[in-house]
Amino acid sequence: MKKQLQLLWGHRAQVIMAMPVFLIFLFFSYVPMAGLVLAFKDFDYKLGLWQSPWNGLANFKFLLASKQTFLQMTLNTVMYYLIFTAAGMLLEIAIAIAMDQLAFKRLGKVMQSVLIVPIFISYTAVQFIVYAFLSSNTGIINNLFGSSTRWYMEAKYWPVILTVVKLWNGTGYGAVLYMSVLAGIDQQMYEAAQIDGANKWQQIRHVTLPSLLPMMTVMLLLSVGSIMHSDTGLFYQVTRNSGTLYSTTQVIDSYILNAIFHNSNFGFTAAATFFQSVVGTILILLSNAAVRKIHPENALF
Amino acid sequence: MHRQNIPAARPRLKRKSGSGQFILATILLLVTVLCALPIELVFAAAFSDEEMLTSQGFMFFPSRFSLDGFNAVLRYGKQLFISYGVTIFVTVSGTVLGLIIMAMFAHTLTAKSFPLRHFLTIWAMIPMLFSGGQLSTYIIYTSMYNLRDNLLVLILPLCVSTMNIIILRTYIHTSIPKELTDSARIDGAGEYRTFFQIVLPLMKPSLAAVGFMMATAYWNDWQNALLFITSNNKKPLQLLLINIQKSIETLLSTRNIPSSALVAMQGSIPQYSATMATVVMVIGPIMIVYPFFQKYFIKGLTIGSVKG
Repeated sequence: MKKQLQLLWGHRAQVIMAMPVFLIFLFFSYVPMAGLVLAFKDFDYKLGLWQSPWNGLANFKFLLASKQTFLQMTLNTVMYYLIFTAAGMLLEIAIAIAMDQLAFKRLGKVMQSVLIVPIFISYTAVQFIVYAFLSSNTGIINNLFGSSTRWYMEAKYWPVILTVVKLWNGTGYGAVLYMSVLAGIDQQMYEAAQIDGANKWQQIRHVTLPSLLPMMTVMLLLSVGSIMHSDTGLFYQVTRNSGTLYSTTQVIDSYILNAIFHNSNFGFTAAATFFQSVVGTILILLSNAAVRKIHPENALF
Repeated sequence: MHRQNIPAARPRLKRKSGSGQFILATILLLVTVLCALPIELVFAAAFSDEEMLTSQGFMFFPSRFSLDGFNAVLRYGKQLFISYGVTIFVTVSGTVLGLIIMAMFAHTLTAKSFPLRHFLTIWAMIPMLFSGGQLSTYIIYTSMYNLRDNLLVLILPLCVSTMNIIILRTYIHTSIPKELTDSARIDGAGEYRTFFQIVLPLMKPSLAAVGFMMATAYWNDWQNALLFITSNNKKPLQLLLINIQKSIETLLSTRNIPSSALVAMQGSIPQYSATMATVVMVIGPIMIVYPFFQKYFIKGLTIGSVKG
């Protein structure tokens, strides 16, 4: 023990330099993790988090009792995760390969710059852009097609709308990663394939796609952990938090945000949060273990 | 990824720039235009004539231009300038603070002899896998830390992130020669001096990349503001945008507008164009800064994806 302390004293400069980040993680990440005990408590704002009485699994019973709400938002969360991940990855890879194949490099650089820009626009601003398209009187879509659909009242269109907005927002950014991988492929591989008589498609299938696989795995793994989390801004801001749309747009995160604002249903919400955190962590551990089994070098840890 | 492993750049194969290339270019160009149009729309609407907007709706290429929207916002939008100040303050202080402390942290992780290296690595990794969720975060920030309506709540939680630490650590690992820091130590430079005078200046490209990502995260953060900020003089731009969605009058309190100006604006506030003008003011700075940082930013993204 004494020896270890001496060793640390010898590195006191490093300890001091690491301290600020250590403390910020402690107070702003780890303490809130402990706050998950809220799921087992009957929260009373006056008593605070720690003094509130325990109530066992009552919150989870509440969760099961209002199955309808809970199931729907969980289903929405998972459904959007699947759509966004599948469509996003497909489009990102398609754009990356197309850009890589393009002979006009200068033009490609410019297009790439433009494609990334939307990720830097916050959803609070995106919300106004979407409104300009969808507003029932002044919106571009209704004007263009001469329709008078009240988009903000019709839940059935929103899975499509949100997917389009999400793809517009994130695809360019996502494609950059794949492009950087493609730029690193040894050109000799293509030359060899050409000599063996492979045409363009065969080259893409047998050289390009396999070299993208590690990056795809890493991106998937990273995203699986947040399967229960959503891009809150997309679901809260872009939908204008419109109650009539909840059946297709309410996800766990936006539900929690609403609950905080209305100061309501803390028990239910706490149980849902607990579920969200635990499921996410289990999923990422499981999928990492699976990848480790198949391709150890692609695992995250 | 070690530098020497990257194959030397070879001249690309000569590709046939036949019709296939032109079709490819056309498709990509189309995608790019589709991607840019929504942004163009914001600018078009901000410079549009209000009357035309209400009667004919939003247009990509408005037929009548006007500066009324900007005029109203710039002349009577006192809140906009307060919010600008808040956002700039939060963005700059948060980014600088975060960069310094994360760089220090990353630096200690690269010293092989440091006994806490593994513990601290794991300490930084866990928050990426597990989080307490919004609700407990909200309750702890407000009831334990008393951070409600305090600008610190906009700065501190966002100033460190696992991903950024990984990027910085990988950069130090791959791009700053060990011999340099070792020889500095042999020459008698203390740990602080080695870091601040040798390592930190050499980290510039990675700091630019991480710094830009952090700055946009701060600039665009609306959730913390919405949850915790209540008073007007601490309202950042994103919260202002959220309020404007409910009513443009938050921005232009009608009381402040002299009646002569109201008459000139035909008795009403140019609602649509003023809103879009505000959106332009909010997203504008990022668009202006982005080209300068793009090169670093793309590099940073790439480093971050290679696990260190």
